[in-house]
Amino acid sequence: MTIRILIVDAKAERSRELDRALAEAGFEVVTIVDEQDDLYATMARTQPDAVIVDAALPGRDTLEHLGQLGKRYPKPMIMLAEEETPELTQQAARAGVSAYVVDSVMPALVRSMVNVAIASFESHRALKGELSRTQETLTQRRTIDRAKSLIMETRGIGEEAAYQYLRKTAMNRRMTLHELARELLAATGRQSS
Amino acid sequence: MNAIPADGPFTAPERRQVTLGMLPLNDVAPLVVALEEGFFAEQGLEVTLVVESSWASLRDGLQLGLLDAAQMLALMPLASTLGLDGRPTPVLSALTLNLGGNAITVSPELHARLLDVAPHGLDVPLEQARALARVVAARQRAGEAPLRFANVYPFSSHRYLLRYWLAAGGIDPDRDLDLRVVPPPQMVSQLEAGRLDGYCVGEPWNRLAVSRGSGVVLCDSFAIWGASPEKVLGVREAWADRYPATHRALLRALLAACAWLDDTPAHRERAARRLCMGGYLDVSPLVVEEGLRLPTQTASSSGMTLFHRHAANFPWRSQTRWYAAQMQRWGHLDASLDLEAALARCVRPDLYRQAADELELSCPLSDVKPGGEGAHAGPWTLPGSRGDIAMAADRFIDGEVFTA
Repeated sequence: MTIRILIVDAKAERSRELDRALAEAGFEVVTIVDEQDDLYATMARTQPDAVIVDAALPGRDTLEHLGQLGKRYPKPMIMLAEEETPELTQQAARAGVSAYVVDSVMPALVRSMVNVAIASFESHRALKGELSRTQETLTQRRTIDRAKSLIMETRGIGEEAAYQYLRKTAMNRRMTLHELARELLAATGRQSS
Repeated sequence: MNAIPADGPFTAPERRQVTLGMLPLNDVAPLVVALEEGFFAEQGLEVTLVVESSWASLRDGLQLGLLDAAQMLALMPLASTLGLDGRPTPVLSALTLNLGGNAITVSPELHARLLDVAPHGLDVPLEQARALARVVAARQRAGEAPLRFANVYPFSSHRYLLRYWLAAGGIDPDRDLDLRVVPPPQMVSQLEAGRLDGYCVGEPWNRLAVSRGSGVVLCDSFAIWGASPEKVLGVREAWADRYPATHRALLRALLAACAWLDDTPAHRERAARRLCMGGYLDVSPLVVEEGLRLPTQTASSSGMTLFHRHAANFPWRSQTRWYAAQMQRWGHLDASLDLEAALARCVRPDLYRQAADELELSCPLSDVKPGGEGAHAGPWTLPGSRGDIAMAADRFIDGEVFTA
């Protein structure tokens, strides 16, 4: 039987590559969606056997809810068969791949599908030099720090005053500190990270 | 709170390096404060905070051992221990990180309809739920689609507080509404896009909707349950058994951070600043600050939260049992599971007492709330191990008292 897979990923190029790789391995990708799409409607319409989702997407929690709703919805891979070693799940977590699978899919097929996804995500990350979620946070923090230093320098003010300036400007312009910091650095021709 | 001795004659932690998982939310403040204000370092710990994007990935990280401990929703240790959430893994909690902090927000359109059918106004939370019941009935008569309400995770306080509020107003959440899970950062945009009519979420996601004019806050979690525990520190039972001194050092550091947060309004502001400047929370600083203000005497409807006062950090077994009873009420907990054994295993007031005692804090003597959850309509006094503890009202929206 062919395993029907739904891909949830905000990165179009990577999803297309994964689609191709899965097709070569004998799987069928039913559709690719962004998590901003209505996952409830998509899942009801396409009824996939498995979902592969970028682990960095908050939309995973929606899939968890669907998995609780009944047998026909895929369950998180971490819940699958006891005999499954945790290594694959760990590897997947490190690569940023999350999978949801219905009970009836054979473990060997699950392994194969997840391995394809891990390889695809890893090669894409290596190519694009992408950051993990934790690295993103550190980058954000550095950007905000640089913008703060810039304000202190150009206005000759202290750290507290610089923070208050950033806070007030962000509030007036309805931006987050990170967005504002990026803009300030770009405007002065400095690197934001 | 400065009286807390930072360096006591404590057993040195077995390991210095500890990795903690967190989600970008206002109430992760204790973890961020403990790191940035040096409370972890005072206890001899080098902590790395890992920002996760979903409760599911935080759960995976803890169950797979990629995280040593994590900020978790109050029900997650129980759900993990019972094998309902992810890989069956005994997870325990000896520390509640905060009480309250969530609120129910609806779209301006729904708010207008509620006002139309609320002859006594919408100031009283129970009246809000009753007004919603009238709107639901009118929609059913008109053949309109059910209203869509969201919460944040299957094993969340948000889900069960929302259901409790709905049911108190006479609504059957399963029959009358379309209930969904939506990640907090998407709540506001989905409300704006008309894909949701309301939600129950923590800050800053209620204030953000209000600040953008796209939502109206009806009531907060304290209005539904005056003592609702929100986030806890979760660790794998096996990890706590293997590194008891490290676990205790974590508990001491976080207790000190929680006490610091409830000490002065200035500390709350400083914490908001840490969250925004540290890159933990990508939301306008003012919205974060407002959501983190210290609750005042005056009633509020904005998702206020307590990190330490009124024995907030004590893991009352009766609190988790109440959530479990709600799961049973809605058919989300199989009757064949041994709930009491799991509760004894994953709610650990004994470990709390050890850590709090080292900081010379007075601890509740009983593992369940005296008189029952919801029995106190106003301030009350609880005898503790080192003197009386000032407690606050813990009433439920419908006046029920939970003594099971």
